[in-house]
Amino acid sequence: MSTLSIIIFLPIIAALFLFFTRPSIAIVKTVYMIVTLSVLYLAVGLYIDFDPAKSMQFIEYHPWISEYGINYHVGVDGVSLGIVMMNAIIMPLVTLALHKLRDKNGYWINLLFVQGGIMGAVLSLDLMLFYLFWELMLLPIFFMLGLFGYAKKNYVAMKFNMYTIFGSLMMLIAILYIAVQYKEQFGSYSFDLDELKKLTLSTRESLLVFSGFMLAFAIKIPIFPFHTWLSDTYRSAPTGIVIVMSALMAKLGVYAIWRFLFTLFNETSHAVAPFFIGIGLFGLIYFGFSAMTQTHIKRMFAFSSASHLSLIVVGFFIYDVYGLIGSSYLIVAHALSSAALFLMVGIMFERTRAYRIDDLGGIARVAPKFALLFVFFSLSIVGVPFTAGFVAEVLIILGAFKYNIYIGLLTTTTILIAMLFMFKTVSKVLYGELSEATKDFKDLRLHELVALVPLALLILAMGIFPNYFIKKIEPTAESYSQKIGVIYND
Amino acid sequence: MTNEFIALAVPALLLFSAIFILLFGLSSYYTKARGYYITLATLFVTLLISANALSEKHSVDLLPELFNSMVVYDTFSATFISLFLFGGFLTLAIAKSFIYNTTYFTFESFVLLLFSLFGMVVLSMSNELLTAFISLEIASMSVYILVGLNRNSLKASEAFFKYLLLGSFAASFYLLGMMLIYAQAKSTNLEVIAEYMLRTDLNSQLLVIAGGLLIMITILFKIAAVPFGAWVIDVYEGASLPITAYMAGIFKIAVFAFALRLFLGSYISLSDLYAPLILGASVVTMFGGSILAVIQTSVKKMLAASSVVHSGYILIAFAAAGSGTVSSSSAILFYLFAYFISAIGAFGVLSYISRGSEKVINFDDLNGLAATNPIIAASLTVFLLSLAGFPSTIGFIGKFYIFTSAIESGYTPFAIFGAVTAFISIYYYFKVIVHMYFEDSIHEKIDYGHKLSFSFIIVCSVIILWGGVGTTLLFNIPGIDELNQLSKYAIESLYLE
Repeated sequence: MSTLSIIIFLPIIAALFLFFTRPSIAIVKTVYMIVTLSVLYLAVGLYIDFDPAKSMQFIEYHPWISEYGINYHVGVDGVSLGIVMMNAIIMPLVTLALHKLRDKNGYWINLLFVQGGIMGAVLSLDLMLFYLFWELMLLPIFFMLGLFGYAKKNYVAMKFNMYTIFGSLMMLIAILYIAVQYKEQFGSYSFDLDELKKLTLSTRESLLVFSGFMLAFAIKIPIFPFHTWLSDTYRSAPTGIVIVMSALMAKLGVYAIWRFLFTLFNETSHAVAPFFIGIGLFGLIYFGFSAMTQTHIKRMFAFSSASHLSLIVVGFFIYDVYGLIGSSYLIVAHALSSAALFLMVGIMFERTRAYRIDDLGGIARVAPKFALLFVFFSLSIVGVPFTAGFVAEVLIILGAFKYNIYIGLLTTTTILIAMLFMFKTVSKVLYGELSEATKDFKDLRLHELVALVPLALLILAMGIFPNYFIKKIEPTAESYSQKIGVIYND
Repeated sequence: MTNEFIALAVPALLLFSAIFILLFGLSSYYTKARGYYITLATLFVTLLISANALSEKHSVDLLPELFNSMVVYDTFSATFISLFLFGGFLTLAIAKSFIYNTTYFTFESFVLLLFSLFGMVVLSMSNELLTAFISLEIASMSVYILVGLNRNSLKASEAFFKYLLLGSFAASFYLLGMMLIYAQAKSTNLEVIAEYMLRTDLNSQLLVIAGGLLIMITILFKIAAVPFGAWVIDVYEGASLPITAYMAGIFKIAVFAFALRLFLGSYISLSDLYAPLILGASVVTMFGGSILAVIQTSVKKMLAASSVVHSGYILIAFAAAGSGTVSSSSAILFYLFAYFISAIGAFGVLSYISRGSEKVINFDDLNGLAATNPIIAASLTVFLLSLAGFPSTIGFIGKFYIFTSAIESGYTPFAIFGAVTAFISIYYYFKVIVHMYFEDSIHEKIDYGHKLSFSFIIVCSVIILWGGVGTTLLFNIPGIDELNQLSKYAIESLYLE
């Protein structure tokens, strides 16, 4: 077994083991900590060993269902490396920040399971394997929504489930369709990404298949108009799952567009790119304004996340090396900041039992450390210089200007809108009069600081020394943009 | 063991054992436990014997002088026979708690079970329309009576009566169809009919075509396809849970076994003609079954209705199989196995937690099962996920094969329709999961006892997960590839000379 397989299966096996042995909560949390830290250790090792000059690395390949050419094929390149890293970093920090709150075994077991599922989906290079993990990571989220969610949780869990599975099934048909086409052209089935690249499809076919995939990804991200599950789910979900959904799962949707759609249907993707840039820009502005009008703080952050995700989508679809690097960078940057912010919202809820923005206020007076970090993470989401978000957004905006000056201008509005709603929320929550809910607000405890400060430092590091991080992505991005460039010049 | 020996030993053993229990049941030495274990042992031994014939491709006419080529023993029938015996064994093993907690499982019920298995075994081997009819009726009659086993229940009696009447009526279509075929082809032997159909042009074999259609109606009735499956909810509901599992999981497969032999073996030259009909049937079956399943309030009826949907999926592959690819026919076989193990598991859990009571298990009765009996709840979750076709279960691989074969034969819209029904099925299957995990229980923790039932429920769920992800790379146990290979051999053996 190679490192990648251990990263994927260690959390899953640990989760199964914990489920069947049902140990006490203390042991579960310890195991969770050990497992996630081991994954982090392995991921850091991976990051150091990763050679940016080569594209796909640490490849592992085993035949699985040989009759249909389905193989266990995993590997990592510059872009997936970032997602692996942020998954590995965020998961242990979740338990540090929340470990006093959640005394249910299932909470931690499901989180372990979801970590394995996400790792598997990011690293898969076989469509069937990818589909397997893509669906598998849904189950723990479904269970956590239903077991630990709030208000109307059963309805919300079911709605979320139905939405995402509908997308997945359409993707399944699309996957089967291209596999069958491959068989007709080359004589045998294959689900391997490298193999399927050779496929030639008619314009109509590839557009239909593209839509099948895109539906699944669009629902997961979510981009407009597939976002209707979003606000319900974020409001009902427990903090751990909100972090997983906003920081990891949604990013996986964007990543999958790039990994699968741009690889398999390069020309179609390029042809429909203007359409998705349009949807992305619309979503960016629409979700931004929706965020401003929210009274529920989790929903506000949900929409703010969606707004930034639309920006990432725009970044990918402008088909430019800057956009690509910027989007990959923003995936990680936004994951870190939004995970931190959702953790802080979770901490805030634990102390105040209030989610309505109007019920909060004046926290800065009683809890300076909390306020400092909250402001910092809000700024990093907005993309203020010296934070990771800034680097990413600048790159995307640069790419957008290269594409079209109006698109560039519209993309720039994202920073303005984000500032508006962030400052509105920050000023309301942190400053002003102390309210009933916040008057006994306790400042951050040590374990919460231990969880949040590394995130803050990492965001700063990514903002101040972007070159060190970008150089891992750059060669991958360039090799892609060269391929894209071929079409560009036609 | 030679294949001829296996082919003779298995039905003979089933028959002897049935007659033995019949006589033994009248003696004073008989106890329910003894009857139960004799039946279980018979099934186990016959399963061991029949599994010997699975390793290779083979096809033999069984004692042609004696039986006049009425029965043929090939990998196809060997696979199905093993499936029936395995299924019968699992049903009985899981149903132990149910059988012990009820009074109406007398020695006759074991006898009937063995008789029906005997009927199915012969059905899967029969190479001739009349033999098939007789064996199908042996199996059906036994199942009719098994449905009405509980004489004190009005529902069971009603179900028995309904099933008997409609079933006999449907069987008459078969007789008529067989008559038409005989009138034209001058034989009831499938190979002779196939030869006749190849020799004759399409316009002058109208009676054979009509006869095939009539037989198809009977088959559609037996597999509960819409609109011929109107009986299914009432009958499945009226029968006691292990019998429902048996009917949904095994009896249906026996009918498919014969249908496959008939339509892939002899009627293959007409497959283009029948394909639109089968596709039409599959669409209404998937659609009707989905609607039926969504509106049910009891879990048992929901599972019964959803079994209709699964017949619909198989029918898509049936139509696709006509295009001559072995992969789509073996997809059917694989799917049948996947469905059978999941259905037996799901009904088995219900029978396990109902403990033989007459009570209808509503969704609310499952509330909080995960808290009181986590292992049972987890197993039921695995069964439902497999039925819903969730990845990493055998049910997913089954659906994957079916949809792939449909797309390969150019039936992409039907595959999409199948995916949409699978999406609807997520709703009703996950509803059970929601009730088990997310609702608070009003019940206390119940110790259900019966380690045998419990352990075989776990065995089923392990098989399902292994069938979804298993490969020989780990542990050297046969995995998906081997199952796939077996179903391919089985289909190929149909075409062996």
